[in-house]
Amino acid sequence: MAASQVISVPKTDPSAYNPNRPAGKLLLSQTAHLREGLIRHLHELVGILAIDIRSLKTEGDVSAYIQMVTAILHPHGAKSPRR
Amino acid sequence: MAAGLDNLKHIVVLMMENRSFDHMLGGLSLVTEKGQKKYPRINGLTGNESNPDTKGAIVKVLPNAQFQGQLDPDPDHHFPGVDLQIYGGQQGEGRIANMQGFVKDYFTQTNNVDRSHNIMSYFTPDKLPVLTALATEFAVFNGWFSSIPGPTICNRAFAHYGTSFGQVGMDIFYILDPIPSIYERMIQAGHTAKIYYYDQQSSTMEIVNLLKNQPQIFATYDQFISDCNAGILPEYSFIEPCYNDHPGADGGQVLASDQHPDHNVREGERFIANSFNAIRTNADLWKSTALLIVYDEHGGIYDHVVPPACTPDGYSAKASDTGTGAPFNFDRLGIRVPAILVSPWIPRGTVVPGTEDPANGQIFEHASIPGTVTNFFLQDDAKRTVREQQAKTFLGSLTDTMRQDDDCIVFGNLS
Repeated sequence: MAASQVISVPKTDPSAYNPNRPAGKLLLSQTAHLREGLIRHLHELVGILAIDIRSLKTEGDVSAYIQMVTAILHPHGAKSPRR
Repeated sequence: MAAGLDNLKHIVVLMMENRSFDHMLGGLSLVTEKGQKKYPRINGLTGNESNPDTKGAIVKVLPNAQFQGQLDPDPDHHFPGVDLQIYGGQQGEGRIANMQGFVKDYFTQTNNVDRSHNIMSYFTPDKLPVLTALATEFAVFNGWFSSIPGPTICNRAFAHYGTSFGQVGMDIFYILDPIPSIYERMIQAGHTAKIYYYDQQSSTMEIVNLLKNQPQIFATYDQFISDCNAGILPEYSFIEPCYNDHPGADGGQVLASDQHPDHNVREGERFIANSFNAIRTNADLWKSTALLIVYDEHGGIYDHVVPPACTPDGYSAKASDTGTGAPFNFDRLGIRVPAILVSPWIPRGTVVPGTEDPANGQIFEHASIPGTVTNFFLQDDAKRTVREQQAKTFLGSLTDTMRQDDDCIVFGNLS
């Protein structure tokens, strides 16, 4: 690419950085959405914690419970079912 | 099918924040060379566009846009404010859109007549070397509009779902209808798709998907750069810029790059350039990728083009939700935004005509994004709104001829 025209991009003024800038409506809305997500997640957790593990009798019961908990603790582990 | 489409393996969408077409690209129409307009087909500014201020004075568009500090407080871009901007304060049946209410509306934010004039500012092309280069080296759309005359969340929803499910504001929307996001459609059909958000401090504006489908749909911007370098980019990628200023993991400073007022526009330029270079510098990726750079909405800033009517999407927002005293049936688009399509298969200086050309003009909006991705990778998907199914797809400017490598720009000075 040596012959390509190179467009120089000016650097941003270092004084642009201002983490003390008041947060706008978009960012405040984003925090409200995230909080709502956390509440939904909490409901999911509460639902699982409400299960009395002494009620789990079969391997099917246990595996379903383990899957629910593991999905929360390690969501990267989700896989397509295999035969 | 054009060879450019035969070779296309990746579509990448980079969605920036809150700037109108005329504010960012309108100045291109005023560039002359040897006494002639250099870009005569771009539907930008003549320099005579104007709005009245609250004292009745006429305020012309001003070539004095600044990178930061000029649009603080944030211009109004919620539904009632945009209604005022489009209709100039007219109410009731039979009113005609005239784009005459921008200055009046910004006065409601600033309470200062002089500062309300800042809403008519635009950048001269020399101040935006990245956007200017991309718009003039590849394809610029004269007629890409935000999907709703309203704010960010509902407009971004159109980019992900082809609808906002009846929302015209910033509220959380719950998906009650069987309309999956474009990412879900792709993955369910055995394809690959990702949303790259900037970092954890910035996160994503696409919360519903985050909750439903994390982590396989999401990755950070660092991963986007790595995936480009490794040549393992998904078939469809959506990039989110950094939405706030925050300390970096190494103790440095991370600047917002979304260009939302009052974030620094130049930092957004650098982000766009960095994203372009990540694709451009991998030869295999460069010839097989189309990069769309588009803005979610106009952010309350002046544009001269009247938003056209559109296919309703089957939803209606109640008068109590619109704030205008009237319901909204999603039958009119929002204000025009910058949109640029980049690919080596696009001839230099391509201009896709819009409403200024009744015979050949094409209208695009954010439902065109899932519409195009679905059309190209999946051919069809039944679970889509009529609005998305009828949205114009945006790959039409890819041709049979790939430009030579040395005929395509690259950005420098980014480290």
